Amino acid sequence: MTSTLSALATAVATEGGHGGGQAVAEATGVFDLTWLLIAFPLLGAAILLLGGRRTDKVGHLIGCGASIASFVMGVVLFAAMLGEPSDGRAFTSQLWEYVNAGGYTVDVSLLLDQLSISFVLLITGVGSLIHVYSIGYMEHDERRRRFFGYLNLFVAAMLLLVLAADYLVLFIGWEGVGLASYLLIGFWQHKNSAAVAAKKAFVVNRVGDMGMVLAMSSMVLVFGSTAFDVVFASAEGASTGWVTAIGLFLLLGACGKSAQFPLQSWLLDAMEGPTPVSALIHAATMVTAGVYLIVRSAAIYDLAPDARTAVVIVGAITLLMGAIIGCAKDDIKKALAGSTMSQIGYMTLAAGLGPAGYAFAIFHLLTHGFFKANMFLGAGSVMHGMHDEVNMRRYGGLRIAMPVTFITFAMGYLAIIGIPPFAGYFSKDKIIEAAFADNWITGLATLLGAGITAFYMTRLMLMTFFGNRRWKQSEPPHESPSVMTAPLWALAFLSVVGGFALLYFGAGIVDWLAPVTGEEHHELPMPLWLLITITLATVVAGVAVAWLMYGRRAVREDVPAGSPLTVAARNDLYGDAFNEAVFMRPGQYLTRSLVYFENRGVDGAVVGTATAFGGLSSRLRRLQTGFVRSYAVTMLGGVGVVVLAMLVVRLP
Amino acid sequence: MNAPTIEYAELAPLITIFGAAVIGVLIEAFVPRKVRHPVQVAVALLALVAALVQVILLAGTGMVAAVGAVAVDGPALFLQGTILVLAIISVAFFAERRLEAGGDAFAPAASTLPGSEEERILVRERMLQTEVYPLALFAVGGMLLFPAANDLLMLFIALEVMSLPLYLLCGMARRRRLLSQEAALKYFLLGAFSSAIFLFGMAFVYGYAGTLRFGEISEALTANIGQDGILLAGVGLMAVGLLFKVGAVPFHSWTPDVYQGAPTPVTGFMAACTKLAAFGAMVRLFYVAFGGMRTDWQPMLWAVAIATMLVGAVVALTQTDIKRMLAYSSIAHAGFVLTAMVAADQTATAAILFYLATYGIATLGAFAVVTLVRDSGGEATHLAKWAGLGRRSPVLAATFALFLLAFAGIPLTSGFVGKLSVFTAAIDGGAAPLVVVGVIASAIAAFFYVRVIVLMFFSDPAPEGPTVAVPSLWTAVGITLGAAATLLLGIVPGPLLDLAQQASLFVR
Amino acid sequence: MNPTNYLVLSVILFSIGAAGVLVRRNALVAFMSVELMLNAANLAFVTFARMHGNLDGQIVAFFVMVVAAAEVVVGLAIIVTIFRTRRSASVDDASLLKL
Repeated sequence: MTSTLSALATAVATEGGHGGGQAVAEATGVFDLTWLLIAFPLLGAAILLLGGRRTDKVGHLIGCGASIASFVMGVVLFAAMLGEPSDGRAFTSQLWEYVNAGGYTVDVSLLLDQLSISFVLLITGVGSLIHVYSIGYMEHDERRRRFFGYLNLFVAAMLLLVLAADYLVLFIGWEGVGLASYLLIGFWQHKNSAAVAAKKAFVVNRVGDMGMVLAMSSMVLVFGSTAFDVVFASAEGASTGWVTAIGLFLLLGACGKSAQFPLQSWLLDAMEGPTPVSALIHAATMVTAGVYLIVRSAAIYDLAPDARTAVVIVGAITLLMGAIIGCAKDDIKKALAGSTMSQIGYMTLAAGLGPAGYAFAIFHLLTHGFFKANMFLGAGSVMHGMHDEVNMRRYGGLRIAMPVTFITFAMGYLAIIGIPPFAGYFSKDKIIEAAFADNWITGLATLLGAGITAFYMTRLMLMTFFGNRRWKQSEPPHESPSVMTAPLWALAFLSVVGGFALLYFGAGIVDWLAPVTGEEHHELPMPLWLLITITLATVVAGVAVAWLMYGRRAVREDVPAGSPLTVAARNDLYGDAFNEAVFMRPGQYLTRSLVYFENRGVDGAVVGTATAFGGLSSRLRRLQTGFVRSYAVTMLGGVGVVVLAMLVVRLP
Repeated sequence: MNAPTIEYAELAPLITIFGAAVIGVLIEAFVPRKVRHPVQVAVALLALVAALVQVILLAGTGMVAAVGAVAVDGPALFLQGTILVLAIISVAFFAERRLEAGGDAFAPAASTLPGSEEERILVRERMLQTEVYPLALFAVGGMLLFPAANDLLMLFIALEVMSLPLYLLCGMARRRRLLSQEAALKYFLLGAFSSAIFLFGMAFVYGYAGTLRFGEISEALTANIGQDGILLAGVGLMAVGLLFKVGAVPFHSWTPDVYQGAPTPVTGFMAACTKLAAFGAMVRLFYVAFGGMRTDWQPMLWAVAIATMLVGAVVALTQTDIKRMLAYSSIAHAGFVLTAMVAADQTATAAILFYLATYGIATLGAFAVVTLVRDSGGEATHLAKWAGLGRRSPVLAATFALFLLAFAGIPLTSGFVGKLSVFTAAIDGGAAPLVVVGVIASAIAAFFYVRVIVLMFFSDPAPEGPTVAVPSLWTAVGITLGAAATLLLGIVPGPLLDLAQQASLFVR
Repeated sequence: MNPTNYLVLSVILFSIGAAGVLVRRNALVAFMSVELMLNAANLAFVTFARMHGNLDGQIVAFFVMVVAAAEVVVGLAIIVTIFRTRRSASVDDASLLKL
């Protein structure tokens, strides 16, 4: 059955690929060099990681060079793309045939279209800035070369993820990103918390990977292929049940990578890594992979309304959860992490709205990439000056000591809470509009989220840069070196103009992405001016409440008891407890016999496991008695079975 | 009467290896003890490399040599080439002398009593066992012949020539000699038992067909002369003999014990090369000779494949010794290969060839890594001792992790492509349910591979943990080659897949 | 000549051999039982050779004898070594490797 299907699929594929409706051309000229995008950082990683100590001196320069070279290549491709007609901007270039086994073929080929180039520019652009910033931030770390190697590896894997033209190749990039992020989170492995966090990110991401594997297996089963063109072209012919299942599996994968409910818990712990890493992982790239996956799979979600509803629900829950967690955290990086969760929730929600929301999801993703990277790097700059202090209750009044950091951070702040004309206003407002156009509940969720965002971000600003000084150190905190502030300026600039530029420059991002994502417009249930006014009023209310609580009164240095909600939020809304009950506990049962190193008794742990496989395993294991004669009995029994099996087949 | 002609050129690889093995025996007798070790290693390596070159030169041949007894065709040459490559690396591991102070992995004299004064003197004088090299060469000769054997008698002889030296090699460990001797005894008794069963089955097949040649047996099947009971029993018994060698359930019981007890370089050699040779022989026998009655043996292989995959994967879950765990993993892998065998067509042959090559490389590398992790008692094979190895020796742990990922079939490793090809071959051959079981077994198996990775990288090092010995250049190069091949075949498998595809046609 | 009788005898010999491997503890006796199984196969080969009127089966029988001799060499070496170590030739004593 599968072979007929795949033959059909191949026939469809040769007719001309589908990238959400536009024809995909064979890459020629400069587009044939798309692979260079990945090759630069990959080469950089290889040199840095395999080169050993010889490259210690110039390691950071090689790392930055590789990333910037990739960015330049991205800009060149983007410029070349602008020269093509708007419906002819998708190009594939086949690198080599990866597997050709029976009816299943996987090509390593790259798909460059409007969607992937947007990601390429974000990844390499913001990535390069983070590289530059890291030169200063990691200056005193003796393993800086290795750090840059991992960063390059991360960029390469992420680029492979967004440029792949086949789910399997995408998955390879997906895993590569996971590996690099694991290495980066655990980079300071002498800190026990870092090692634990890395472990958690590893485990939770494996749950997400299961979703990816299931999705790909289903695709092979139903479509006989995992190539984008074949899958999207034949999705219409498949039953709704299968398409919905694939959509849900992909959503599970996206949840793991993008820290969406219920797989969100690793993100907050992942803040243990060196700060630029947090910025890179959160803002620019890794967590947006899930949103990319959903938008890229638009052709599947368009056919599966139920899966889309699930995406919206996940997005809404995460956006509120992240915002509430962000309100209660005193650790500046964790507060930002909660905010990231919440913003990704916005994107996921928008992506779940279908063609009406895909473009806005990507739009918000890009602007968020600017202002969140800006704020993470700003937080890193604050920590740099404060001797790695992360508790905001020990900050206060830093705007005078660190003026550049303050100004740039403020740009990011205004952008994230959505004050016009900063970047976040345009993108978030579009999502709120689309959400209200879809239905009231999602609309209210996004509106509430906007209010809470304003609250916790104002709280963060006030506690860090305003109010009384609560730091103990004798000399005042110093401003960071210019190699660190330059990227801050760049990102702050983007936070200011990014939204406006993306929305109105040329035809704007919505039209730019339309050939890939499709376009759809719903009627708002109320006039647009009214919605904008309500949104802004909510934001102002959030700011005002925060000012009343943290601006007028002095911030206490000890942690107040707080309401039950605050306590819950401090505990990540019991996300860990949830994960423990749902994933860890059954997993532990399964592993108790297996991962016995966590147990005291080594061999004793093997006995008495409750799980099916563990129990079955130890039971089967007892057959291995060590006695030759019992082995001979087993064999002779086997002989009987084999000969009988041969004879029985012949019975009429 | 005409004397039969022998195609010496086509049989050159076999002649080279057997000749070198005989020379090795003569060296034992005539070369002074002091220089024996380097001479033996040199002879063995030279012979293996020469044979490899001859195999490569023969590529593309498709004929039956030695009056129909030996096939020189794609599958045979592909497997012979792979076995020779693996054997070269194995000999390099055999010759490793930096891990034990001045010794290698073998007892200075297998005949001395463990713990006796005699043994101590030999150890102190740094005496080296050199018989292992001619023994290994004989075994390699048998392995080369096994997948090329084109009649029943040659098949049996090859089986024995391959097995007998292996029985001895298993009993020669320098450390833990009691376990090693026990492994040899178990392997020998069960091996001889299975050989006898195999031979009895052979007698029945001969009785049915009246000939020993594979081609003529195939013709006899088409002629359908009745008395099928004898044939079916014969095929079943022969299958048992071969399934024993590949370690399929329920004929697998020797595998964990022998893998654990044997000296680790021998375990690696055995795990990689024996399985290749035995599967090669099995595929040829069942496709060429018994291809006409595939509907009779397919259900039997279905059952065996399912049992093998599940038992291998499930029992490996609770293993605490790394060598035993790898043994069960090798059982599960035998099951994966059997899924493709059930399909019984040319695609399946190609998939099996590719799978065996990648599996052999990764296995050899993994066992070589095991030899490097040591404590005062020799190799530290208990899993608990591997905890935190990633912090102590990240490169070694990462290499081992790579091999484990290949076993688990994770993308970007050779194991993934291998698994994909056998499973697609099985689906195309109409064995989709087997593939479902295969995927489940893979998932279970992935669990215990990942568990070792987690153990190495995420848990705290044991307080009196093992040290990682610095190997000689030979071993280092061997492991590096294995890791590089595993990664490379995972990223660009095309050339080897094509080669396997071209080599997948049997001469009849 | 009725070949069936010879075949039945060969099956009986084979079964005795197989049973011997299963029930006898002494490694030497177990090994002798394996030899008996080989010889049962030899008998079957010779019988079939006679039946088909060609020599292939008889040739096999000769080869099997040689192989059996080689097997004795290897087997005795292993069994004697283990006997010297443990002072016992019981296969049940050699059961350290298990589970």
